[in-house]
Amino acid sequence: RRRAVRGGGRRRGSPGPSPLTGLPPQALVDDTEDVSLDFGSEEELALRKAKIRHPLATFFHLFFRVSAIITYLFCDWFSNSFVACFVTILLLLSFDFWSVKNVTGRLLVGLRWWNQIDEDGKSHWVFEAKRVPTIAASTEAEARIFWLGLIICPVIWTVFFFSTLFSLKLKWLALVIAGISLQTANLYGYIHCKLGGQKSISRVTSRFFVTADAPK
Amino acid sequence: FSGLADVSITEDIPVEGEITVPVGSHSPDEDFSTLDEPVRDTIMRDLKAVGKKFVHVMYPKKSSALLRDWDLWGPLVLCVSLALMLQGGSADSKDDGGPQFAEVFVIIWFGAVVITLNSKLLGGTISFFQSLCVLGYCVLPLTVAMLVCRLVLLAGSGTVSFVIRLIVVVAMFGWSTLASTAFLADSQPPNRKALVVYPIFLFYFVISWMILTFTPQ
Repeated sequence: RRRAVRGGGRRRGSPGPSPLTGLPPQALVDDTEDVSLDFGSEEELALRKAKIRHPLATFFHLFFRVSAIITYLFCDWFSNSFVACFVTILLLLSFDFWSVKNVTGRLLVGLRWWNQIDEDGKSHWVFEAKRVPTIAASTEAEARIFWLGLIICPVIWTVFFFSTLFSLKLKWLALVIAGISLQTANLYGYIHCKLGGQKSISRVTSRFFVTADAPK
Repeated sequence: FSGLADVSITEDIPVEGEITVPVGSHSPDEDFSTLDEPVRDTIMRDLKAVGKKFVHVMYPKKSSALLRDWDLWGPLVLCVSLALMLQGGSADSKDDGGPQFAEVFVIIWFGAVVITLNSKLLGGTISFFQSLCVLGYCVLPLTVAMLVCRLVLLAGSGTVSFVIRLIVVVAMFGWSTLASTAFLADSQPPNRKALVVYPIFLFYFVISWMILTFTPQ
């Protein structure tokens, strides 16, 4: 005897093949009960199943960086003016720095870093890692996109640095240096968060396993 | 399960444990579930901080707001607008003011970095980015001077306009230097104040010189 358990508690008019056996449920109609299990609302269920839970954050994480690189590569097609390209790329790089530091980092991987100056003027760099996973926590796909974007772009800007230096297009050098420093700053900050959190994350998980260990 | 038949649990051993997961400290953004709300709040908060600092530069009384919550958005905006206004050439020319634009940029940022290094080496207590923040924000009076100069030059470029521009630039230069030293000199030991003020004086002097000698093509 099998019970077909369907979450959500809706009794369908003409049920299709049973999900367990694939056989038409004619034979199971007597035994089938709709047991309503509360998995949470439909939205939460969809959120849990989705591969990317923060589509907007993921998009913007990559959008500003990639646009800056594309604008740098194809600036001659967009506009004749050096100044317009310079200002556009600089603004894109600044927006990217701000959004990766303040928004996409905490949404996609739960990490955050900032600088704090206390009463007597000493400056501290604070690196924070989120430990308690929530429903809207990030997925592996998002984390992978985050780290790939974070690592590949400074490498590309370093390549631009050398190509600018050796082709003697020195007026772009200031921009490339600005790009490298902004993107490397974010990379360094997040790596520091990740590494700094490692020790405490393992301590928390080991504590969890020790206290919750009931003999089976 | 025949293998477990001889396992017995005596009454002496207490079977208990904690199943609660220790909740870490709630960072302020853990409760947000939508993307729009927190981003808008973050943007508004940062914009307000930038605006407050601009106001502080115009009325430089000793306050810790400029020093404690530093940000570099204001200096970026001021630097870009000053560099845009300092361009002379027309948009169609081959030499479209490219080097001049990057020059202004490099002068401002490199100059600010050098001043900061200088004050740190002299034993200042202010941090690197705080100093950059203050120097950048105090370029505001000179940016205003540049705006006024461009407007005056639209009217004419004779002696009268030169005198007006000279007065305006000198006044704004004095304002910038006073505003930045009001914030920066306090972090130095008293016998080193002149050594710190002098490079700041030079820095704003160079920018004022660029503004005063600007002539549109």
